[in-house]
Amino acid sequence: MRDARGVNRPEAHSDRMGISAGVWVILGLALVSSGWILAHPRGAPSGMQLWTYARTHTLNYAPIVADWNRRQADPDRRIELSLIGPGPLRHRLMSGFMSRTPTADLIEIERSMAGEFFAGPVEAVGFLDLTDRIRAAGIDEAINAPSFSPWTSRGRIFGLPHDVHPVLLGYRADIVEDAGIDVSRIETWADFARVLGPLIRDLDGDGRPDRYLLNYWYTNKDTTEVLLLQAGGGYFDEAGHVIVDSPVNARVLATLVTWVCGPGRIALDAPEFTASGNQLRLQGNVVCSLMPDWLCGVWRNDLPGLAGKIKIMPLPAWEPGGRRVSVWGGTMLGIARDSPHIETAWEFAQELYLSADMAESLYRTAGIVSPVRRLWSLPCYDEPQPYFCRQAPGRTYLAHAPYVPRRTSSPFNEMAKEHLQEALIELRGYALDHGVNTEAELLPEAQRLLARAAQNVRRTVARNVFHREDQP
Amino acid sequence: MNAATGRADMRTGWSPYAFVAPFVLVFLVFTAYPTLQSIALSVQQTYGPQASRYVGLQNFVGLAHDPLFWKALTNTAVFAAGSIFIQLPCSLGLALLLNKPQVRGRAFFRLVFFSPSLVGMIFVAVIFSLIFEKRTGLLNVLLHRAFGFDPEFPWLEDYVMPALIIAALWMYVGFNMVYFLAALQNVSPDLVDASRVDGAGVWHRFRHVTIPAIRPVGTFIVLLSLVGSFQLFELPYLLLGEGGGPNNRGLTLVMYLYQTGFETGDLGYASAIGWVIAMLLGAAAIMQRAVARGGER
Amino acid sequence: MSRVRRGLLIYLPLLLCSAVILLPLVYMLCASIKTNEEFFTSPFLPRGSGFLGIAWDHLTSVHYRRLFYDYAFGNNIINSCFLASATSILATLLTAMGGYALARFTFRGRSLLMGLVLGTLVLPNVLLLAPSYQLLYRLGLLDHYGGVILPLAAPAFGVYLFRQAFIAGLPRELLEAGRIDGCGEMRLFFSVALPMVRPMVGAFLLITYVGTWNNFIWPQIVLQTPEKMPLSVAIAQLRGVYFQDYGMMMAGTAVSVAPVLVLFLLLQREFIAGLTAGAVKS
Repeated sequence: MRDARGVNRPEAHSDRMGISAGVWVILGLALVSSGWILAHPRGAPSGMQLWTYARTHTLNYAPIVADWNRRQADPDRRIELSLIGPGPLRHRLMSGFMSRTPTADLIEIERSMAGEFFAGPVEAVGFLDLTDRIRAAGIDEAINAPSFSPWTSRGRIFGLPHDVHPVLLGYRADIVEDAGIDVSRIETWADFARVLGPLIRDLDGDGRPDRYLLNYWYTNKDTTEVLLLQAGGGYFDEAGHVIVDSPVNARVLATLVTWVCGPGRIALDAPEFTASGNQLRLQGNVVCSLMPDWLCGVWRNDLPGLAGKIKIMPLPAWEPGGRRVSVWGGTMLGIARDSPHIETAWEFAQELYLSADMAESLYRTAGIVSPVRRLWSLPCYDEPQPYFCRQAPGRTYLAHAPYVPRRTSSPFNEMAKEHLQEALIELRGYALDHGVNTEAELLPEAQRLLARAAQNVRRTVARNVFHREDQP
Repeated sequence: MNAATGRADMRTGWSPYAFVAPFVLVFLVFTAYPTLQSIALSVQQTYGPQASRYVGLQNFVGLAHDPLFWKALTNTAVFAAGSIFIQLPCSLGLALLLNKPQVRGRAFFRLVFFSPSLVGMIFVAVIFSLIFEKRTGLLNVLLHRAFGFDPEFPWLEDYVMPALIIAALWMYVGFNMVYFLAALQNVSPDLVDASRVDGAGVWHRFRHVTIPAIRPVGTFIVLLSLVGSFQLFELPYLLLGEGGGPNNRGLTLVMYLYQTGFETGDLGYASAIGWVIAMLLGAAAIMQRAVARGGER
Repeated sequence: MSRVRRGLLIYLPLLLCSAVILLPLVYMLCASIKTNEEFFTSPFLPRGSGFLGIAWDHLTSVHYRRLFYDYAFGNNIINSCFLASATSILATLLTAMGGYALARFTFRGRSLLMGLVLGTLVLPNVLLLAPSYQLLYRLGLLDHYGGVILPLAAPAFGVYLFRQAFIAGLPRELLEAGRIDGCGEMRLFFSVALPMVRPMVGAFLLITYVGTWNNFIWPQIVLQTPEKMPLSVAIAQLRGVYFQDYGMMMAGTAVSVAPVLVLFLLLQREFIAGLTAGAVKS
């Protein structure tokens, strides 16, 4: 018995070992790796750097960058294009702007991260203020006006808009038309639930419905925002005041809860970019999806099985005569304020973003329509596409482009989004706990939860001294 | 002895300083100074390391009113409780099994159980991000095949905390087991034999012989788990994307510290959160000492 | 109770637990050698008509090749090696010397230093993230290897452990004898004192090595250039872009995890000795 215990005491064995093998291993690794690192110094790259976070962008920009580089005799004017994940990109850029670690000359950022870069005083924004250049070149007139809104802070524009990203409704034409339903009878979300309602079905025969009308789930902050913006709600007004507790928001939240639970349920969780969500789409478990232009490209690549089954139509409005389009996502191209190549960068940025070739290839590969109005007449937008039952989706998106909702560039957007999301989750819990299923019954609780959320948002905004200093 | 040391000191007057100097230099610059600086930062608001304003106790007042902070604190406490009340009993159970004298291949089992704790937490998170996936993840697939469990079980949406606790259980159960195993060596075999002769049952023996013997190490392991749990970061950071998951169900204190300090650039608020964590762990350490001493009396 | 039943009662749970513990690692390896199309067809290796009902010919090394050719993972491996070995060697050297001085000399400021060391021992590491970041900014060490290594090079618990080890394992008489023989202080430390605490040196070196290898938050905050990043940060970034590419993610994880597990397999005694030494004695 004591012998067995002795085995358990490794110290007893190792007390008088020779010089430890581990020490040698680690010393060896240290020598080899330091040698390698000394032999391959990680020096600063020459020329100019362009960072983007989206793979479709790199694919489309590569030929234009290559063409540009071919024309440059001066190696300092050549551009190197790098793809960096959104998280790391934001992280590197934040560090570069706040702590002067190396950044690129030209950077593309996504809408949801933009606010953070505008959090400090205007003169501390790491992006170059492009307002005067944009006006001088007439670009402010040439580009669809709402597209500037997410990149404008305190009246100054810090980036060129890449897109419009209108959101319409994509629906399974095969399912809808087989059932003999005429979608032109749908004008509002209430019509939507009523007209398409008969399509909710139990496909696998387990006694529970498993086909629903809309791909939406209360946990998805992005789609909630899309619907809020469409209704005219949001987080901040143009003057920067908190509007989280507006009556429009309350109404939308109450309606959304009726979509995901209770007898009025019409929505299913089929997340984009996931294998499980795609499976549900292919099996026809979900009839309609909120469809930004970029999603058309994603589907064509990831869901070839849906070819010839999808059509695009305007979003149902929140009330008769209301807005039938929303907006989801967006990209800007900015120039680092500390870049040593500002003039060259501006020259290239215009060439890239105003180019007809880029607009066309972006539409063909990714389904994205250009924000540049003079390019809206490109013939490619009118080509019927077999994937969309020979509709020309580009033309439909462009028809709604001027009416997409404006957004703010507030650094507190994401925080407010979080609080609103929390209110929505609690409202759903309330509906389940109390068995209330109608919008009218949910409205008072929605108001109460939003009032609390708004208070939290105001408190966080008030705590920010830099923001306070900037207000007149 | 004292005289001898005294003589040695006179003769080697410079040498202790030479030995201690490199450590002291690095320690003062990179540990002592930042510790003091963290106090200074906790009464400032900053935008990155350059721009800063003195705000007094506003950060701490803000924390008290910050729903996200309270959520992070609650989540962290839930995780810590999960570690202590689920993980540690499992570890102790494994240690008791392995400590039976007739077990063969003890070294093998110890090796297997211990190995996950060597896998860095960020790598564990990458592996478990696949395991917890809804329809295709290993856990749901296996549970579905074995017990007809819901294959859509939303681990990373509605059951974030159980998911984190499971991943941490996998990672640390063997690590804690090694400590318990070492502690079980303190159980006097004579006492065990004596109680066996007295006819004491297994439970009685465990309660009155084993527990008191492993008590000092046991409380130390509890403290170690608490310290680890309160610094949980990589697992939720990677598993839930960079936010805290739906409704911030997986937001932990260190994630919140990281978000405020390094994503929005307020190093002051981050330091204030750091001090709250330090205070909580300090209180836990004091309690551990009291409990461990209580056992000795 | 029969011998068999008793044996079953012990080995069954042990074997079951071993299987559960090994499962995720096996899953990782399997996912890294099958194509993404076959990822969903079976939880482990793809089924087929080959030996053991597995389609051996469907296995692929494409994920590993892509990792090294398209993603320059070799670079990250070198960085991890360098950061981990530089940090662990430096930390072991500094703390062993410091612990030696605290254990075997009396000098002015000794108790003050000991107090400082014990004082910072109870503070959580995360407290220092924000102020250290600001300090590195002021020193111009952000995005440099040095910025990662130096703040980790003087851990207070190391000094404490070495002090205890020297007090327990190094008789004063040995030092005195060495001095009488006319041995210089530095030689005395390296050839007399250090060998007496050899197990501690090995264990501390290994533990710091693995700790730095697995460290994520600190290099993530300090390093910005991808060419400088260790595996831990690289894999997290890889996941941001290729989160659907299960095979490549798992291949990257396998590559990151394997060296540490191999090191442990070779040197497990020292590891466990070092880990438990502190706890059991205090």
